[in-house]
Amino acid sequence: MFWIAEGLIYRRQDSVFHTIDPRIKLLISMMLFFLSLVSSTIVEFSIILVLIFFIGALSKTLKRMVRTFVFSLSFLAMIFVINILVGYDIMFSIIISLRFISVVSSTSIFFLTSSPDELELVMKSFYLPYDLIFAFVTAVRFVPVIMLDAIQILDSQRSRGLEIEKGNFIKRIKNYIPVLIPLIVQAIIRSEELAEAMESRAYGFSKKKTSYYSLHLRKRDYFAATVAICFMIVFIYAIYFLHI
Amino acid sequence: MIEVKQLYFKYPTMKDYVLKNINIKIELGQIVAIMGSNGSGKTTLIKHFNGLLKPNEGYVKVFGKDTQDESVAALSRKVGLVFQNPDHQIFSDTVWNEVTFALKNFGFEEEVIKKRVKWALEFFNLIQYKDTSPLLLSGGEKKRLCLASILAWDPDYIVLDEPTVGQDFLQKEKLREVIKMLITRNKTVIIVSHDIEFIWLLQPRIILLSNGEVVKDDVCANVFKDDASIDKCGVIKPQFVELFDHLAPLLPHPPLDVLEARSTFLKLMKKGG
Repeated sequence: MFWIAEGLIYRRQDSVFHTIDPRIKLLISMMLFFLSLVSSTIVEFSIILVLIFFIGALSKTLKRMVRTFVFSLSFLAMIFVINILVGYDIMFSIIISLRFISVVSSTSIFFLTSSPDELELVMKSFYLPYDLIFAFVTAVRFVPVIMLDAIQILDSQRSRGLEIEKGNFIKRIKNYIPVLIPLIVQAIIRSEELAEAMESRAYGFSKKKTSYYSLHLRKRDYFAATVAICFMIVFIYAIYFLHI
Repeated sequence: MIEVKQLYFKYPTMKDYVLKNINIKIELGQIVAIMGSNGSGKTTLIKHFNGLLKPNEGYVKVFGKDTQDESVAALSRKVGLVFQNPDHQIFSDTVWNEVTFALKNFGFEEEVIKKRVKWALEFFNLIQYKDTSPLLLSGGEKKRLCLASILAWDPDYIVLDEPTVGQDFLQKEKLREVIKMLITRNKTVIIVSHDIEFIWLLQPRIILLSNGEVVKDDVCANVFKDDASIDKCGVIKPQFVELFDHLAPLLPHPPLDVLEARSTFLKLMKKGG
């Protein structure tokens, strides 16, 4: 199951899309997110999904993006079934399910192609409080570490006879307790250790923090931003005024 | 018996094999140390013994049963694996319940569970903490608790991953006594460790690994005579061996323990006059 989480983790990759300024990558991601919310037909969603997968191919993250896609399939099925059960027709249920998958995939574009350092710089450029930035970026940075912990814990409990996939639905959920408790305890211990290590290295001593890297927009960034904004305008115009 | 034949293994996300052409047999009643530098494949190899990992090529058989056909739970009944970090295992509200966890999973009867848990906690000097949260124990105590929770179901093979990390001298001594006791009961103890002094005093069979391949598989005394192999595997000789290597021209054979070393020294000093 952990291979699915791979679809949400940044990996260094040699691609054109990776070299774009992270603020522009966030803009593209947010634009696709917004278009997913305003779209309401299968054709519109198809265009958005094709575009998302095109970006996936361009950034060489398609394989991992598909994992995010597979991960969201179970939720997608759940959303579809619930919509049918509460009385909506099949078409509406399909639209809602497609919206869900486009929202998840568009968000993953940014996280798959931007390192935690880039994320920090983007948040700094919005003048957010540094404590908030640090907490958020650290959480993102620790996802792979927590994933490794989870694998170790699962191995450890399986070695003591725990059969995670055994039993009915309730039993299966209960089976995860021996995995979740050590995972949470480990996360708390790690956060305390990290806090002490940060304080030992003068975290919070200076009000004004300096940065080794800074963001500068280049030609390719302006080009990518222009293409993204033009696409959004054309898309919205086509939906609301041309009724395509 | 654990039989490993032409084992090749690689993780799905990796290109290269982590284990290459491993061929070993481990009988009952042995102490076996698996040594090698970081990333040589030691932990990956021991995870094959209870089926947590399955070979890509070749096979691992435990008492004649191929690990490919058996569940981890079924294999763990025979092969108890104690992981390096106790915090990866501990989750129960009390020390007592932590030890009962595996026994309940294996379907032991209530009376048997009580008897075994009591024995294990007493043996590891943890019985006074039986109603305490295991999270409040010290690092050494947690490590002993993990060992107790494995020994409680009496597996034939006990695999210890870095058992001496974070242990003081007395705890190491205690652990060595436990290992020796297990051997008298015809159990096999497989130890993955970098603690060369600890390993030397046990005089085990040593399997040296380098880049996923077995470089040497022999008794302790012979392994430390093979300078090329131990250098290749990033293992250093115990200080004891190092010292007597230098004195080799003066000795009929290298001493095996401290007592023999002492008497050899005394003889040398008398000779020297």
